[in-house]
Amino acid sequence: MLAVLSVEIRKLNRSLAAVLAVAAPSLIAVFGFFMLLRGKAAQPWEMWMLSSIGIWAFFMLPMSVTALTALVAHMEHGPKSWDHLRGLPLPRWRLYAAKAVMVLAVVAIMSVLTLVLTWGAVMLAATIKPDLTPTGPFELGRYAATMGKVFLAAILMVAIQLWTALRFASFVPALVVGIGGTFFSVVATSAKQGVFFPWQMPVNMLATESWRVNTALALGCGLGLVVLALATAHLSRREVL
Amino acid sequence: MAAAIETEGLTRRFGKHRAVDAVSMTVPERAVYGFLGRNGAGKTTTLKMLLGLLQPTAGSARICGFDVGRDRIGAARKVGALLEAHGFYGNLTGRENLDLTRVLLGLPATEIDRVLEVVDMTDNGRRRVADYSLGMRQRLGLARAMLGAPPVLILDEPTNGLDPDGIADMRRFLRSLPDRTGATVLLSSHLLGEIEQTATHIGVVHDGRLVLEGELAALKADLAPEIGLRVDDPDRARGVLKGHDLTLTSDAAGLVAQLRPGADHDAATAAVNSDLVNAGVRVFAIGPRSPSLEGIYRNVTAPRAAAERQSETV
Repeated sequence: MLAVLSVEIRKLNRSLAAVLAVAAPSLIAVFGFFMLLRGKAAQPWEMWMLSSIGIWAFFMLPMSVTALTALVAHMEHGPKSWDHLRGLPLPRWRLYAAKAVMVLAVVAIMSVLTLVLTWGAVMLAATIKPDLTPTGPFELGRYAATMGKVFLAAILMVAIQLWTALRFASFVPALVVGIGGTFFSVVATSAKQGVFFPWQMPVNMLATESWRVNTALALGCGLGLVVLALATAHLSRREVL
Repeated sequence: MAAAIETEGLTRRFGKHRAVDAVSMTVPERAVYGFLGRNGAGKTTTLKMLLGLLQPTAGSARICGFDVGRDRIGAARKVGALLEAHGFYGNLTGRENLDLTRVLLGLPATEIDRVLEVVDMTDNGRRRVADYSLGMRQRLGLARAMLGAPPVLILDEPTNGLDPDGIADMRRFLRSLPDRTGATVLLSSHLLGEIEQTATHIGVVHDGRLVLEGELAALKADLAPEIGLRVDDPDRARGVLKGHDLTLTSDAAGLVAQLRPGADHDAATAAVNSDLVNAGVRVFAIGPRSPSLEGIYRNVTAPRAAAERQSETV
């Protein structure tokens, strides 16, 4: 499995995955930077960091997962590599499992970058306007835990997007699913039913009612891992014509 | 001679269409087996079943004794393949592409230099594959198929995209492979000339069925002897030769007189020549024709009706 993972990393090295991984968190940080500069009074750290996690969870994360899974799948669809890869003497599930691990790893890196870059952007803006320096404690543990839950709750969405991107050689089905999911995530952010909607499960980690957090986390992570395993099994068994 | 590749009743349907229909083929060890057929005849589907990429609807395939259906990984360890879709990553160099497969196969790093040298690509290994010509990609694909020196190579249209020099190089290379490496080569093509100059054995697939298989030299030897004729008036010549025990057909080069198996070639040629001249038919050229793969191929694949239109027993 390590060999397959190392091959996936090397393929990603020369792709635009790194640009995507840095771009999405950077956009959130840039937004936070200018928001702080146009403020009238200092705001607590909590407001800046949780806003950043919120933007990431309900919009940037679904869009990034859509783009990342399409990128990872098209590294093989584009040059029609499946016949070569699937003809090699190794269990096929490893090929798909390695892709899932890579996508989750990149999403985890992007989640960390979102926190780090937001902190950096706020600090930079506060240097320019010291009177707007955030107030209150900087609770890194709390922000990291919330972001961690967002990540875990996103696994079901990642599983659906990755399966769609790998299943169909055209990138259109994966984009339609991703754009559609993100659309409903944005326009119905506070809907109660969103707890059961894969694209809204991450943002529900910021909900004040604990049942929403727990339900969305259990479904997003638990069901997500099951769906990921089923997707891997299905993709490795099906014929690529 | 033991079989490197063996199939029994290999069948694959796509809906109602039988792409491969009960193909039972045997590729002897160290043979260069030309798998012939027109586009859409079922060659690639057969090769994909041998590689475990497609499941047969019925039948079985064995590579070096490993049943592909039951032990795909065991069979795949014995095979290197060059398929129509190369699957190279254009953003990586040739060496990097080979190295990805090398890592997946768990081979030493020295394998890259070895296979690049074999296909004469050492100097181009550090260029991005996106900058390669089709011929270079083809050679890189061959290099990748040879990683780990598998005993069986399955090559789908390996001369596609090669220039005339490249085709000649590929021919020489493939012919020499069994002696150099002990490998068995299964080579699919729709180009009769390529197979004739490269293969030791052939299998002809037509409409999904294997209609002929055997050692090329033996198949040619079994062909009825032929005489090639170029005359001023083919219609009159046909009339003159009606009394002879031969079958007259025509092709781009002129008339072809197919003798009965075992007929005395020299005596028949002299008699034909004499009768034509005596009848006032001007003979520009007459002589024996070597049995060709094209003749074998046409015999087994040409629809019967078309064959009857083209030939006239005299």
